[in-house]
Amino acid sequence: MKANVHFREVLNNGTGYYGLLALLGAIVLIGLGAAYFMEHNGHFVTGMNNEIVWGMPHVFAVFLIVAASGALNVASIGSVFGKSQYKPLAPLSGLLAIALLAGGLAVLVLDLGHPDRLIVAMTYYNFKSIFAWNVMLYTGFMAVVVVYLWMMMERKMNKYTKPAGFFAFIWRLALTTGTGSIFGFIVAREAYDAAIMAPMFVIMSFSFGLAAYILVLMASFKWTERELGDKILYRLKNLLGIFVGAVLYFVLAYHLTNLYAAEHHSVERFILLDGGIYTKLFWIGQILIGGLIPLAMLYHPTLGKSRAVIGWACALVILGGMAQMYVIIIGGQAFPLVLFPGMEVSSSFADGIVASYTPKLPEYLLGIGGVAIALLLVTIAVKVLRFLPESLADAIVDPHTASDAKGTAKKAA
Amino acid sequence: MTQLALVIDLNVCVGCHACVTSCKEWNTSGTAGSMSDDNPYGQDPTGTFFNRVQTFEVGTYPNTETVHFPKSCLHCEDPPCVPVCPTGASYKRAEDGIVLVDYDKCIGCKYCSWACPYGAREIDEHLKVMKKCTLCVDRIYDTALPETERKPACVLACPTSARLFGDVHDPESQVSVAIRENGGYQLLPEWGTNPANHYLPRRKTRITIHEDELERVDNPLKKERRQPRPGFDEPTLDDVTSW
Repeated sequence: MKANVHFREVLNNGTGYYGLLALLGAIVLIGLGAAYFMEHNGHFVTGMNNEIVWGMPHVFAVFLIVAASGALNVASIGSVFGKSQYKPLAPLSGLLAIALLAGGLAVLVLDLGHPDRLIVAMTYYNFKSIFAWNVMLYTGFMAVVVVYLWMMMERKMNKYTKPAGFFAFIWRLALTTGTGSIFGFIVAREAYDAAIMAPMFVIMSFSFGLAAYILVLMASFKWTERELGDKILYRLKNLLGIFVGAVLYFVLAYHLTNLYAAEHHSVERFILLDGGIYTKLFWIGQILIGGLIPLAMLYHPTLGKSRAVIGWACALVILGGMAQMYVIIIGGQAFPLVLFPGMEVSSSFADGIVASYTPKLPEYLLGIGGVAIALLLVTIAVKVLRFLPESLADAIVDPHTASDAKGTAKKAA
Repeated sequence: MTQLALVIDLNVCVGCHACVTSCKEWNTSGTAGSMSDDNPYGQDPTGTFFNRVQTFEVGTYPNTETVHFPKSCLHCEDPPCVPVCPTGASYKRAEDGIVLVDYDKCIGCKYCSWACPYGAREIDEHLKVMKKCTLCVDRIYDTALPETERKPACVLACPTSARLFGDVHDPESQVSVAIRENGGYQLLPEWGTNPANHYLPRRKTRITIHEDELERVDNPLKKERRQPRPGFDEPTLDDVTSW
């Protein structure tokens, strides 16, 4: 059955391919231009201030990094959990993971005060800092996935695929735990300081990464005129539904725990009830658009079978994920620091006042540029190397069940 | 071990901002500078300050009072901003306990700003590194200055001497005595950061006086019911005094 799956580069040399390349390249250039503009003029041209120190670029960057580790899951299901139907999907999964991480890291680094001092970050390590750990986890992830891809795609090395995949799976869990812990370890701010942040980020990565993977898979197969069978697609979309539900569960557990502790009531009130844009983004963006609506779409008995609906559900999961990141990162910073517990505080400076933040255009452009970097890398890579299977038709992915299905269909007829 | 710190007396701080301006003046031209300002006179001024005076109305009307609360880096003995720094740019000096930022190592990731529970860290929007109070480290050891001027700029500028500077680990220092005798306290001690800077609380002097304390029990004038009256031919008090 495995022998049936052949991988082939994208052979299309038409205007469509180069048009896509040019479009993505242009967006990347605009993003880099925005980064240069902010670097040249200083951070005061952004909406960020002394209260909101991480803005829109970080929302994009953290989303992309989280989605990157999640995109690798498809490969892990194949090599770690031994589901052979997923094996043809694995190379694209590894590629997307690297590409998304590269896009996210590009945004993260360009949003630093001093991107030029990246070498300092790599030569001076403070091992107590979760941030320093993440530097290693991110760069290490790239290397680990490259090795994993090599084992997968080089026939002679195939026998090492399973251990490499297992190692990559452990590494990706560590990576997302590290990303979640950036927020989980923040004791100084009310909205964070929660151990659940790390596993919540892991499950968020499952969901966002798979949504991104399904979209890229569908688009690449459609544009290169390859056959994508229903069977594998339905498997993926059902799995996405489970992940979306799991994210909702973690969000519920996080907020319920906070609501139980009286000291967190004010921050919960802020996010859930009267936080303005953050409350709207939480309920409408994160819960409705990113959670309940895609769940209904994916599991609807008839609509859930439509490819357009599956595609839109994935897009909504991504949009909702961005909203969730915005609420976590910006909302948590906007809520004022508590300097005098139990007191209602307002002063001539920022105390007791919800910090205001309006992202400026360059911040959006840098973030979108990061997404374009990820997609550009995928677009180039699928043309250069054999990442995409020639066909994922039902009969190729899983001939036994396919023939069984035909058999039962015949019997029924 | 020495732990230099500021002790700020909220009882006498009048909120004049002299510490803010003198801090800005010294540090913007010193080794910690420059401290950029954008739109300083516009609608939304942004800028870097090591020290800000926050003014709070305490209580509920009509029983309110105004408290001016100067706040800068508290130079915690266990500073949460130090372990989070990925490059180790943020550090605490062993010799005098001052928490400093190495501007050449800071990559501007701003993670320390997330970690500080006091909101003391500020990004310099143009130099793009994290900045904070240095306790005027470039001044307090400057032997070119007269001994009396080797103090942070804010301490020298305070017109009401609300700011004291010294070693809080030396029990006989001026700051330790002030903390001990006037109920000096740390900001948010529950974080376990053990801030070196202390605040002296607002103090109202009230004594309770009972009714009987106002009356002299052995008042000789009360011993006899009738006061002795002078004779009609004797001079009155008005006659013998000149006023």
